[in-house]
Amino acid sequence: MSIAQSLESIGFLNEFSESVLVYPIVLSTHLTCIALLGGMILMTNLRLLGLTLKSLTITEVVTSLRLWKRIGGVIMIGTGLLLATSEATKYAPNPFFWTKMIILSLIGVHALVFRPIVYNRTEELDRSSLIPAKVKAAAILSLILWTGMFTMGRLIAYWD
Amino acid sequence: MILQVTNPLNSSELIFPTLECIHIAGFALSVGTIAIVDFRLLGLGMNHQSTAEVAADLAPWTLLGLVVMLTSGPLLFSSDPDMYYLNWVFDLKMVLLLLAIIFNYTIRRKTAYSGKSGTRAKVVACVSITLWVGVVFGGIFLAFI
Repeated sequence: MSIAQSLESIGFLNEFSESVLVYPIVLSTHLTCIALLGGMILMTNLRLLGLTLKSLTITEVVTSLRLWKRIGGVIMIGTGLLLATSEATKYAPNPFFWTKMIILSLIGVHALVFRPIVYNRTEELDRSSLIPAKVKAAAILSLILWTGMFTMGRLIAYWD
Repeated sequence: MILQVTNPLNSSELIFPTLECIHIAGFALSVGTIAIVDFRLLGLGMNHQSTAEVAADLAPWTLLGLVVMLTSGPLLFSSDPDMYYLNWVFDLKMVLLLLAIIFNYTIRRKTAYSGKSGTRAKVVACVSITLWVGVVFGGIFLAFI
């Protein structure tokens, strides 16, 4: 039995994907988190680019949205794991799924690279009058990665 | 239906998923920005700033998101109107959407700009979040019913 098959056959995951109600509830929760998280990530990056929320400092925007983004992120990964593992044999050969996972890991790399030099140094950014190139790069890359992320997520359903 | 048969949307396999992605981007923008204001009303973020200022800053983005959502949505609908027309979840979603939009631009708007932060403001924020989450759930459930 392949890894995907054995994953799928785990009792509760099997019941989960067969359930008429639970599966759409988990999928809706996953999508709700995308809406909340997506909107917040977008606003954070647009603030970094100086395009919105200018009555607030970058520090305020980044710090007050951080907790919500973390909560949303945890729920999104949790529900995403349920969705993917319960139908592991469908996901395993799906190129869109793997592209999405590669983008997800690139988002991790983005955080490792830019958190110490941009997102954790917002007070410095608030003091400077122009937007440094590294900040623009961080914001634009983040927007591209997240757009790729939800596009691939949607396309998973269209591969057969 | 004639609309469905001659609809150019059904001429390519790529158009529907592309529209879906645009639809998702639109509601992420609108629902995400609405949620930020609602969280501010609840006193759960951006507390150094007045709700009115946060709301005013985000209003154009919310509107942009709504426009994208309300353009792509009817196009998605037109690809298979019979399926949606006969689906009670779709009706429910439309009722929730209508309520959410009306609520957003009446009671919630007034509350956000009034500067009040009591229980009333918190109730308004909760109603707003509930309505919009209901719309998102409706969108997924209509494909499963």
